[in-house]
Amino acid sequence: MSEKPFFVGYLPAPGPLRTFLLTVCILLIAGLGGAGLLMGAAQDDPGPGAFRFDYGRQTVTGVVELTPYPVIHVTEGNDRIKPGDSFLMTAGGKSGVDSRAEPLDGQLAQVSGVVLERGDLYMLQLRGGRNGLQAAEGDAPVITPEPQGRWKLAGEICDGKCLAGAMRPGRGLAHKACANLCLLGDVPPIFVSTQPVLGEEFLLVTGPDGTRLPREAYDYIAQFITAEGEITKRGDLLVWEIDVDTIEVTE
Amino acid sequence: MDVATALVMAMQTWGIVGALVAAVFLTIGIDRIDEDVRGAYIFRPLLIPGVLLIWPLVLWRWWQIETERAAWADRYRPVRASYGLAVVLMSLGIIAVVIAGLSVRQSWPADIAPVQLSEGAGQ
Repeated sequence: MSEKPFFVGYLPAPGPLRTFLLTVCILLIAGLGGAGLLMGAAQDDPGPGAFRFDYGRQTVTGVVELTPYPVIHVTEGNDRIKPGDSFLMTAGGKSGVDSRAEPLDGQLAQVSGVVLERGDLYMLQLRGGRNGLQAAEGDAPVITPEPQGRWKLAGEICDGKCLAGAMRPGRGLAHKACANLCLLGDVPPIFVSTQPVLGEEFLLVTGPDGTRLPREAYDYIAQFITAEGEITKRGDLLVWEIDVDTIEVTE
Repeated sequence: MDVATALVMAMQTWGIVGALVAAVFLTIGIDRIDEDVRGAYIFRPLLIPGVLLIWPLVLWRWWQIETERAAWADRYRPVRASYGLAVVLMSLGIIAVVIAGLSVRQSWPADIAPVQLSEGAGQ
């Protein structure tokens, strides 16, 4: 009969095994805790973006403009969203509001939803159907685009919704697959610049000549890149028409 | 073909072969190598996900037992004997993946400033 100690879960641990088990337990707990600490410390700060349910439902009126991603230029605001502001919109989940906004291009519309906010960037997640976006009475002022020239920028292409606060982190490689799915669902893409451009850190990014972000650019989402393109100011929003052929991944 | 497409295709191929192996093994093979399962069918669908993942090992074990190439006890020992090595290799693999990931991670190019290449029409 072997004298080798044998562990049985519902019986007291045999003497010779106690030291071994105790050492393994301590090393395992300390090791896993240490590994968790190291991995957490290696992560980038996810930033301050968040859903602002504490603001309550926001309802404002403005002009719908397709850039081709729908933008609202506010004409009649409220306590938080002022006239003259321009912001992007999204639907619930990984969906944009293109199908609802397209019939209202250039018209006055009332939008209603919850704010996603990250610093200077904010967007509205609209309520479902006509409750979120519907035509409003009145004359729509004409929004004149202001060309700002061709720029070379460095930074990262993200999906606007997650970046603004729907996900944490809402940018970076860990978020790449989610960002691509959001963009495929027509959520507006946002370029985060390394340094402010004409006073703005966040720019709506599109393809050239009013087209959507080209599919070729999707491979570079969440990577740090440099690229060139024309910037146009629409309302108080900067729109960067990225030239995909000029994209270069930085070190 | 880019890397992502190749990875997806490799996973799909692995899964399709695994599904074929599961279909044949769970309907024919398992009865031939384990007399205890004959007449028992409800549990077999539960094995499908596992067979999809490790179908080469399933085929190898099936072949080992079917051909009686090893003594009864030895048919099971080789797999168990390699557990220790597998644990060590997987642990080292995780560490290698983390180190490789951290070493190729890009750093935020904060020092690259925006450059205006040309002025706009209205400027």
